[in-house]
Amino acid sequence: MLMLLTILLGSLPVLVLGCALFVRLAQAEGRPTAEERQTTRRALQRPRFFTAGATPPLRPARIPVEALLSQIDRHIRLEQAAAESFLECPTPEGLRSRTLSTLAN
Amino acid sequence: MLSTQADLLATLSKDEADRVMALGRPLTMPAGSVLFDLGAPADRVFVVERGRVALTLPMQVGGVEEDVLVEEKQAGETFGWSGLVPPHRYTLKAGAAVESVVWTLPRAALLEHFAARPEIGYIVTRNLAAVIGRRLQIFQTMWLREMQRVVELRYP
Repeated sequence: MLMLLTILLGSLPVLVLGCALFVRLAQAEGRPTAEERQTTRRALQRPRFFTAGATPPLRPARIPVEALLSQIDRHIRLEQAAAESFLECPTPEGLRSRTLSTLAN
Repeated sequence: MLSTQADLLATLSKDEADRVMALGRPLTMPAGSVLFDLGAPADRVFVVERGRVALTLPMQVGGVEEDVLVEEKQAGETFGWSGLVPPHRYTLKAGAAVESVVWTLPRAALLEHFAARPEIGYIVTRNLAAVIGRRLQIFQTMWLREMQRVVELRYP
């Protein structure tokens, strides 16, 4: 019994020392070195491949509804006129003729 | 005189044309007023005497439903022929673009007159077929032209 207690007491400091050393080593591994920190900083500053030089997409300009309705009205009138012209003289070219419609051109 | 100008009454004598027009009555439409809505029961045919009638269909524009011009009818022109052609439902909306006067010809009165005068019925129906056929030709041409543009856009 006395011998057991002696062994335990003797090994306790060694155990505590070992644990302290282990914790210190684990913390040291998680902490980046100065060189690693610099490498990481350079990597973050480097432009990304897919976004390098990219400009934000242009949003189509929104026109007022009234203006759009007016364009639609004009487009339909021009297309009807083109259709009537085709019916006067039906040709394949008449089906592909261009009008002055801003919706179609 | 409308009876001598109306496309529906082409080749009819003036007397016969007047008899057909006498089956209906004129209707004055203030600018912007609606004559019939899309899908409404069709029991009469119309002929423009004066002004302009806009035939429209609804379209989503900017998230809002708007009436888009499909065709505009002027003096002497017939519209609302679904009043004589089954299934007797108007497939467009009709409204006065400007202050207009239109003659309304009820189907019941027309059919009764045609039953008594088949030769008049034949001529009027033939004229109606020409009106309908013209619209079909115009719109099939317009449709093909739009499809051409769709194909060119997708496969340049």
